[in-house]
Amino acid sequence: MPDDLQLQPRRKGQAIEMGVLALLIVVFLAVSMVFQKPFSQHSFGDTMKAVGTIMAAGITLIMYSFLYRDNPLFKIAENLYVGIALGYSTIFAWRQALKPEVYQPIFAAPTSDALLTALMHRTVPILLGLMLVMRLSRKHGWLSRYAYAVIIGWGAGIAIPLITHSYILKQLHAAVAPLQAAPGPQAAGAEVLSQAWLLHVAAPIFGAAVLVLGTVAVLFYFFFSVEHKGVGGAVSKVGIWFLMVSFGASFGYTVMGRLSLLIGRVQFLLDEWLKIPSQ
Amino acid sequence: MALRIPIAISKGIIRFLTKHPRQVIYVLIGVTVIASYMVNISLSFEPSPLAQKVYDKVDSLKPGDHVLLSFDYDPSSEAELQPMALAMLRHCFKKGVIPVVMTHWISGLDLHKMACQEAAADANSHYNKKIVSGRDYVFLGNRPGWQQLILQMNENIRAAFDKDFFDQPTEGMKALEGVTSLKDFELIVNLAAGATVEMWIAYGSDKVDVPFAAGTTAVSAPDLYPWIQSRQLIGFLGGLRGAADYEVMLKYPGRGIRGMPAQSATHVLIVLLILGANVHMFAGRFFGKKKE
Amino acid sequence: MILKRTIPLLIVFAIGVLAFVQEFVPHPWSGKLVDEISTWFKIIGGFAMFLGTYSLLHMHLARIRRKMPSWGYSVFVFIGAAFMIGTGVYNEIQSSSQPAGPNSPFDWFSWGYKYIQVPAGATIFSILAFFMASAAFRTFRARNLAAGLLLISAIIVMLGRVPISEPLSRWLFFGNSQAITQATDIIMEYPNMVAKRGILLGIALGTISQSIRILLGVERSYMGGGD
Repeated sequence: MPDDLQLQPRRKGQAIEMGVLALLIVVFLAVSMVFQKPFSQHSFGDTMKAVGTIMAAGITLIMYSFLYRDNPLFKIAENLYVGIALGYSTIFAWRQALKPEVYQPIFAAPTSDALLTALMHRTVPILLGLMLVMRLSRKHGWLSRYAYAVIIGWGAGIAIPLITHSYILKQLHAAVAPLQAAPGPQAAGAEVLSQAWLLHVAAPIFGAAVLVLGTVAVLFYFFFSVEHKGVGGAVSKVGIWFLMVSFGASFGYTVMGRLSLLIGRVQFLLDEWLKIPSQ
Repeated sequence: MALRIPIAISKGIIRFLTKHPRQVIYVLIGVTVIASYMVNISLSFEPSPLAQKVYDKVDSLKPGDHVLLSFDYDPSSEAELQPMALAMLRHCFKKGVIPVVMTHWISGLDLHKMACQEAAADANSHYNKKIVSGRDYVFLGNRPGWQQLILQMNENIRAAFDKDFFDQPTEGMKALEGVTSLKDFELIVNLAAGATVEMWIAYGSDKVDVPFAAGTTAVSAPDLYPWIQSRQLIGFLGGLRGAADYEVMLKYPGRGIRGMPAQSATHVLIVLLILGANVHMFAGRFFGKKKE
Repeated sequence: MILKRTIPLLIVFAIGVLAFVQEFVPHPWSGKLVDEISTWFKIIGGFAMFLGTYSLLHMHLARIRRKMPSWGYSVFVFIGAAFMIGTGVYNEIQSSSQPAGPNSPFDWFSWGYKYIQVPAGATIFSILAFFMASAAFRTFRARNLAAGLLLISAIIVMLGRVPISEPLSRWLFFGNSQAITQATDIIMEYPNMVAKRGILLGIALGTISQSIRILLGVERSYMGGGD
């Protein structure tokens, strides 16, 4: 088949897509002008608020165009977002870190005593910070290891006691504590196998057993130094069941979380862009 | 003859559905969210016990008590956590409790500032208050350091934040009167999009023995149950539902409650899609065996 | 070699042991040390953020210089960064020369954040809702017992955490409006809690062992390549 005939369907499809895109842009701008009225506002601030809302709605819809397929508009919006986020973080790195901790104590010190105190406490970390930036140099990059040594060393050292206390000791205590829990006052005098006994004596004991045995089973599943065969295999299997139920619960919550983000965007588009009154 | 056209149309639809399942699902999800949001069927619900514990703790505080709110999220989790932040701030202002707001996430600073200002304006109009930054609340902003910042706050909060976000010195600030370190707070709350809850527990609340509550995205919520059972966390708000629970208890509807019909509808849709797919699989297996 | 490797490793060990020991010392010097190191972290952290900014901009500049595929989009990174940095610096200069008030110039910096960064950041992650629904429909099958447990617990939790659980429960379970919610709570407080605790303990043990390896100089990946 001649090349030009093969190209024609693709060109036709692209032409249709471009036509639809142009139409959508016109519709978007028309709708935005009608609902936001950016040029009929009384103050510059209100005009910029209207323009900003239109821009935000446009960016939202452009991002959602990715669901159709990856396209240049999406890539432009994505890269613009990266640049904006980068600029934002840079400004606040100055405002919230370097300005109050380096610039103001040293270059805007109110008295010479204050300057001396600042230099005493901040010379070493400033030098370490500058050494950290040396990471960008191939020849002098090794200097950054000193800054990393301080940060990583301190972080690792302090993590050991605190993680041991909060993550291990307290959690292990909580894992076995249900076994020590005494039955509540509702259990007093309850006849064996009565509803009160089942609810306030049997159920807590069963629950405590599930918690302890389940924790052991899950921990055993992750212990790969021993082959999971025989009794070990059965315990490991129970651990897998607990993990599967947990992953199912996590999936359920993940669905909830992701849909909430979508609902948030729909809230913005309907309430702020289109100003549709809620019922 | 009369049935030929509808049968042909149905076959065409089924062919399209099986050929383009992704696109159909995208459209279904989108239409369900928009339609259910616009229709807004009101569904009453009981707040969860864990959300109730957080609310009750804040409600038990006296005017002048201090609560540390660490807003550790950015625009990617704004839909779930900003409504929570607004609800908690409104509650603090209603009770006369002084919220001290800070963040570890630099990318969310303006969001947190907007939450403080919006909640203050709401309290002024709704609860007849006159909320002033520096007196009734303080937004400390961010400092780098993560765990190290928390450790410094354990010792001296003014050394950790010598100025607030608006460049006002914290020394002598009315909102921080009586507060030297984390130990002087009645409650610490972390609204977290990442793993900062565990960090706050290990480096903050466990060390200073101050009650700690959390609000997280729904994705992180299942991870918090061990901390609840060990009582290192008194309660938490999970996702948009957590924000809705808090708004119900506060009797101040916001985006949380507003999003619940859409949340319900889309969850039911996804459950039906999953069940339908599984029924189709089991039916295929059953009828396939029968043929053999 | 001594300057490039040995001394940094000695610093890691010394500082790490100091951090560990001070945790058990109730003397005020321990608090002062934490205060001092925190100031160090804030300053080093500030420099680290600039390092991150430079790295990302350098990467995009390299793409533009070498005319790599799709290099044109990298120009927009610079446009966005220039806008925010320019307006941020302008704000800094303005705020230092005059206090904030009704006659303050328009805050372009916050405008850029509110109307570009917030919607873009929020929307990018909300796209996952569609992908997740589609993936769940296409792949979520109860092919065996484990997958079946996962499926059942996911369905119960998805229905139990939304307000529709109460009318649905009333309809399915003979008037009991709390059945699905209670089932969800049982799943979350027992099997889920147990599994998460197991994972948490594993993470904790891993963190501690990794910290010890770092202090002893066995783990050196943080130093970067080349000696």
